[in-house]
Amino acid sequence: MARREVGYGGPDGPDGAGGPEEFDGPSEVVAVARTQRRIALGYGLVFVVAIGSVPVLSLSLPWWSTARLLGGMSPSFVAVAGGLYVFFLALGVAAARLARSVEDRMLGIVPGGDDPVPDR
Amino acid sequence: MSGVDTASLIVFALVAVLVSVLAWRHTRSTTVDFFLAGRRTGMITNAGAICGDYLSAASFLGVAGAVYASGLDGVWYATGFAAGFVPVLLFVAAPLRRLGTVSLPDFLAVRFGSAQVRVAAVVAVELVILSYLVPQAVGSGVTWELLVGRGIAGLSPYATGIVVSTLAVGGIVVIGGMRGTTWNQALQFGFLLAVAVWLSALLWAGGFSYPAAVEQASAAPLRMVVDDRLVAVSSQLSGAPARFGDPGARYSAIGQVALLVTLVLGTAGLPHVMNRYFAAATGRAARTSTVWVLALAGGFYALAVMLGTAARVLVAQRADEPWLAALTVDGVLRVPEHALLVLGRLLAGTPGLAVVAAAAFAAMVSTIGGLLLAAAASFGHDVVARIWRPAGGPREAVVAGRAAVLVISVVAAGVALWVDPERLLASFPSVIAAMVTWAFALAGSALTPAVLLGIWWREATARGAVAGIWTGAAVAIGALVLGLVIGPDPSGGLSAVLLAPALIAAPLSAATIVVVSRRDTGPPVSDRLWTRMHGTAADRQAERMARITLRGRR
Repeated sequence: MARREVGYGGPDGPDGAGGPEEFDGPSEVVAVARTQRRIALGYGLVFVVAIGSVPVLSLSLPWWSTARLLGGMSPSFVAVAGGLYVFFLALGVAAARLARSVEDRMLGIVPGGDDPVPDR
Repeated sequence: MSGVDTASLIVFALVAVLVSVLAWRHTRSTTVDFFLAGRRTGMITNAGAICGDYLSAASFLGVAGAVYASGLDGVWYATGFAAGFVPVLLFVAAPLRRLGTVSLPDFLAVRFGSAQVRVAAVVAVELVILSYLVPQAVGSGVTWELLVGRGIAGLSPYATGIVVSTLAVGGIVVIGGMRGTTWNQALQFGFLLAVAVWLSALLWAGGFSYPAAVEQASAAPLRMVVDDRLVAVSSQLSGAPARFGDPGARYSAIGQVALLVTLVLGTAGLPHVMNRYFAAATGRAARTSTVWVLALAGGFYALAVMLGTAARVLVAQRADEPWLAALTVDGVLRVPEHALLVLGRLLAGTPGLAVVAAAAFAAMVSTIGGLLLAAAASFGHDVVARIWRPAGGPREAVVAGRAAVLVISVVAAGVALWVDPERLLASFPSVIAAMVTWAFALAGSALTPAVLLGIWWREATARGAVAGIWTGAAVAIGALVLGLVIGPDPSGGLSAVLLAPALIAAPLSAATIVVVSRRDTGPPVSDRLWTRMHGTAADRQAERMARITLRGRR
């Protein structure tokens, strides 16, 4: 469980957002930033492989461009005209959920409290 | 112009003005209120406004036009535009908002603690805004030409469309600020999506089959109109006649990769789109808004691709109709960007054309509004309030921002009047989408590497960022100028990379930031700043306040 330590919170923003009640410790944030970077790079790699595979398959696998899945639509056309949008959304939902859950687990937890953002 | 056309334009203009006036009554002359709508924009409203900002003439007229002209290779524009939000969600949205700044140059200047970074970023941002505004204005001219067909005050129809749209939007932004622009953009995106759904419903009601249309469009080789005659399109991959459903009509393999990298990297550097994230209530809200954007934009682009395909088939079938014969050569549209407008008239007569034209104007107006607002924020806040007259106060920054809106409007209209889309059509079959790609290239090369490394690499320094921004901008501009001078080459390799240069310019910019930062002895980013950017204290605080407010209302 993360400990609350002397740190920096919302009131430092140039617009004065936030209040003095919530703080994050620098060492906790460094750990969260590292974890988030690892997650983002992992999802980013999946994104690059998926999107890059379409032109690679067009060059390397004739079936990808010449076969017909739906009427005159090749697998390549189906992927580019519809399939990739669904994939982007699924990837985005999964990444956003994981990022939020990491933040909830690693930041804003007070010793002995179950609620990561307790009400007072 | 029929009564229906006039009515659609008048209703559209009245709604935009009404929304702006309502917003003006809620807007105070403070930086955060005028430029960021008080940072109280709801998640779905912000997602709608991001889509309104992003889905421009290039998306509405350009994607359908690119699909019409180049088939599967044109579809890549839509894919690239939608894909650009995945890196934004993964790497940018939440930290960008959490730093609590006002504009993209402000974010970079605060992160790197440097006025030089601010100056470099302002120059890059203004260049991106100008290069993005010009194709929107060109789109306005093209749409006015087709819808209204005549000019006012001695101007040509094309010039009238440009002057009316840029000056009208400039006025709307000056009055409404971020709040008015946000409401207008969210409404206009809703209208845009509704029109795309309506056209699709009309198609399906008429027995349209998407797979059969792709098959029909692919039956004969692709042809395009150049100098009033039909020219066969050769595949960039095989040299054989290109077909609608197969890859190669527009891009070689390297060209396709260059386009994708440019569109994907460019999104995270677009100042008008990234400014939306500063208006979100929290970092988490910014991230969740992006998920909504992926859903809304993905749905819109999937429909736009289908409508471009339908236009390819239906225009050829009904090219004998007198009004359409004037716009085509042997069943092929002279200007591919007319595809969606013509489809509207084919499916629903003159009212259909009027509704699609109003949607096209909505797309352009909302994007022009976002661009002008980004120009206002970077000039009013970054140049006047932070560099030129720091003692001037927020009211002076807002006045300077409003003045910047008018100046940029006039400059963009002037450049668009100088551009002749007919001349560019021979080299760029989908000229609006191509021109927007150049803006993406500049943004992705000059700004995105500095934003990404600034967020995720603590050792990135101000000197590194300045060197990276200038390097990316210089390489991108040099490549684009060279690409335009040499024109498209038959192999589709070199010119395709030069005209979508983020593939080379962005890595060079990133490498410059890394090398210069490594050799720099300047201090790394402070714990305080890193904690603000990656911590969630402000988010938790805002969420707690929202819960307390909700309980109080019950």
